[in-house]
Amino acid sequence: MSDAISVSHDNGVAAARAYSRQAVAPPVDVYENADEVLIVADVPGVPDENMDLKVENDTLTLEARRGPAKEEHPALAREFEALDFSASFRIPAGIEASAVSAESKNGTLTVHLPKAAAAKPRKITVHSES
Amino acid sequence: MLTGWIGFDDTLRALDLLQQHMDRSLDPWVGSGKRFARSARPVEAVWPATNVFETKEAFLVKAEVPGMAEGGIAVSVEDDSLVIRGERKSEVPEGYKVHLRERPSIAFTRKLALPARVDAEAVSATLSRGVLTITLPKSKEALPHQIAVKSA
Repeated sequence: MSDAISVSHDNGVAAARAYSRQAVAPPVDVYENADEVLIVADVPGVPDENMDLKVENDTLTLEARRGPAKEEHPALAREFEALDFSASFRIPAGIEASAVSAESKNGTLTVHLPKAAAAKPRKITVHSES
Repeated sequence: MLTGWIGFDDTLRALDLLQQHMDRSLDPWVGSGKRFARSARPVEAVWPATNVFETKEAFLVKAEVPGMAEGGIAVSVEDDSLVIRGERKSEVPEGYKVHLRERPSIAFTRKLALPARVDAEAVSATLSRGVLTITLPKSKEALPHQIAVKSA
């Protein structure tokens, strides 16, 4: 089941987040069609309430905190750190910033950036004068 | 930019820099999120990334499998090894142009040798938010044995 994530909008300067834990940029796919730009990011292990999406002026910021940093048991082998995720994207012109939405499923976050009506390709019918 | 024969490594490095410059100028999406953040490990390197923990009674294996539902993963114990098999599908949505693609579809089989015998019948696995957690209880022989010391 997909869960909707709330996206916060801010026209002011972002409050500086003192991040004492390291963050990595998640692998992302970026797609575009006539109606929207789509960003898909792999963010495993992040509870919905820890997903922080912000749209500020022309920047989309994602910050996702994973669970507690402390591991309860000794590790015999470690290939991934439970690091937080952080990424920012410049939103291209023509995006309806207030309509940005996101949902998460199975550790993958999908962000929809709808294009403003004026930016959508418009077919212009040519009438002939006869 | 490249004059004469510099050497294989330098040539590749220069080409890599050139590629990065081209990427940045041609496509605003490439690199936009990555300049000041370390990248998460390359997806194709070893998939899924796994961590193995040990408690007194069991081994815990955690694997990062974002984008997978339970049906796509098969977990089994074969000859004292844990085998994780599956396929993570990642399709380009129909009708969309691709600006950046870092999440490929990936079919995987990972075999992890376990340091001690496990009770294969009692192995359990759960999947939550793209993290697979497998609990492998140690078999009775592998559990710590208390040996009573009797006086002779």
